[in-house]
Amino acid sequence: MSASPPLAPPSARPRAAVPAALIVGAASIATLVVAWQVVAMAGIVPARVLPTPLDVALRFATLAVETFSGSTLEGHALASLTRWVIGAACAIALGIPLGVALAWLPPLRPVIAPAFELLRFIPPFAWVPIAVLWFGASTTTQALIVFIAAFPACVINAHLGVSLVDPILPRAAAMLGAGGVATLRRVVLPVAAPSIFTGVRIAFSNGWMALVGAELVVGKQGLGFLISQGQINDSVTTIMVGMIAIGALGALIDFGFQRVERAWLPWLAFGAKRAS
Amino acid sequence: MAPRRSHAEPVPTATSGGATRAWRAAWRREPGRAAWTAIAIGSLCVMLGAWAWATRPGGAIPALFLPPPGDVAASFVRLVSRPYLGSTFGAHVLSSLDVVIGGWLLAGAVGLPLGIAMGWWRRARWIAFPLFQVLRPIPPLAWIPLAIVWLGIGEPARIFVVFVAALVPWVMNSMQAVHSIDGLLVRAARTLGASDRQILTRVVCRTALPTLVAGARIALGNAWTTLIAAELLAATSGLGYIALNASRTLEMGILLVSMLVIGVLGAAFSFGMQALARVFAPWSRGART
Repeated sequence: MSASPPLAPPSARPRAAVPAALIVGAASIATLVVAWQVVAMAGIVPARVLPTPLDVALRFATLAVETFSGSTLEGHALASLTRWVIGAACAIALGIPLGVALAWLPPLRPVIAPAFELLRFIPPFAWVPIAVLWFGASTTTQALIVFIAAFPACVINAHLGVSLVDPILPRAAAMLGAGGVATLRRVVLPVAAPSIFTGVRIAFSNGWMALVGAELVVGKQGLGFLISQGQINDSVTTIMVGMIAIGALGALIDFGFQRVERAWLPWLAFGAKRAS
Repeated sequence: MAPRRSHAEPVPTATSGGATRAWRAAWRREPGRAAWTAIAIGSLCVMLGAWAWATRPGGAIPALFLPPPGDVAASFVRLVSRPYLGSTFGAHVLSSLDVVIGGWLLAGAVGLPLGIAMGWWRRARWIAFPLFQVLRPIPPLAWIPLAIVWLGIGEPARIFVVFVAALVPWVMNSMQAVHSIDGLLVRAARTLGASDRQILTRVVCRTALPTLVAGARIALGNAWTTLIAAELLAATSGLGYIALNASRTLEMGILLVSMLVIGVLGAAFSFGMQALARVFAPWSRGART
């Protein structure tokens, strides 16, 4: 987005203190949960269709200790996390060098761009049927889908970060006697790091979404599998527990990335592009 | 940097310093338009050739793993010439388009006003933003089982999931667009005697338009991606349904054709929305986000 506006928003009054916004926000969420509880208890809709928040919380506690569809909630979460990390790590390991090379060595662009652009527009889930044929209902299949979802974000942001580096910097480095590799490592990559890191963050978030989709279609474990089992067993509480776990884990990891970003790269992440 | 050697170009003998330097410089220069096109077409041809060679009868890759390009072309002809899975190919595509456009427009009808209100009125933002913050991390796909339990496997369930997928970008981009408007513009309009309504419609919405259109584009992309997943799980027509069925019946050619059509349509949406942005908001310098 654009740079932060130097002036107050158009509400013409000075920016509100944070606590007031927090109170209203918390009240808003609390109201929603209470309304949900009331509507569910009033019996307007059957409990099979809309359980109360309390039911969901109880189910959460049950699933955490009891085995459902092969393992506990933690077991499913662990299975999902493993695939997620494998797929995303591969995407980062291949995507970032490719993106940097594309930006640093322009003649590579026409070689890679046609195939990359052709494949980029095929959504990760469209690969699920063919991935299943290739690797069966295995961890490899799931990790491949995560990889496909995460790879473009790594390439695009690494490319963007390196190509946005002010050309004066590498020239100054060259003038001071730095070779190509030294310039790349000591000058270009540190400057491009925030954008690359944003790419990694987006890669993980895209990968998480794709993984859930892949697990819904195939697999014998994982949070996506858990909610699809909830659907088959007609248990809305199980579905909701799975959804909450997926959302919470995704948000938690993203929050962690933001903290790491602020700690390691205190300068601003700029010009990052969302590749979805 | 060390010269990279490729088979496409002659390896430099590097006897004189000048030749090496020129070689290095060539790697750091963007090729001209003609060269670019030539290399791009050459690269595509090489990849296609490698695909055909590897999948030839008796080649390294069996046709059940990856069919040769000729099979894919034949499958495309077969798909458009005869009905597949109960309806013509056109009908499958239309069924997918129907749901994606319907869900996307529905999300826009809700999300656009909501996002603008959240950007404009502080209180609306205070109330609604936390709800979105809580719901946003849940991937739209995770709603599919819930949608199936609630609405069955018919079209309403798919429209609901597409709606959920498209709503967040609609709302977030509209809010961002309105919220980040330069306060100077608003004050200038107010000084010139504009009413609140005039400011909202004539100043704010117009300034925000490029970002709004960008949000619409992201929403459409999300909607399309999510629909394909929904069709893999619960549908009786559509491109995702074709893909899943083809994988079950091991018709690899048809599977690849459906994937390609999904990709082409996704690209068409993206480029169409960019063109739309240029028509409706020509003052946006390049597409942001």
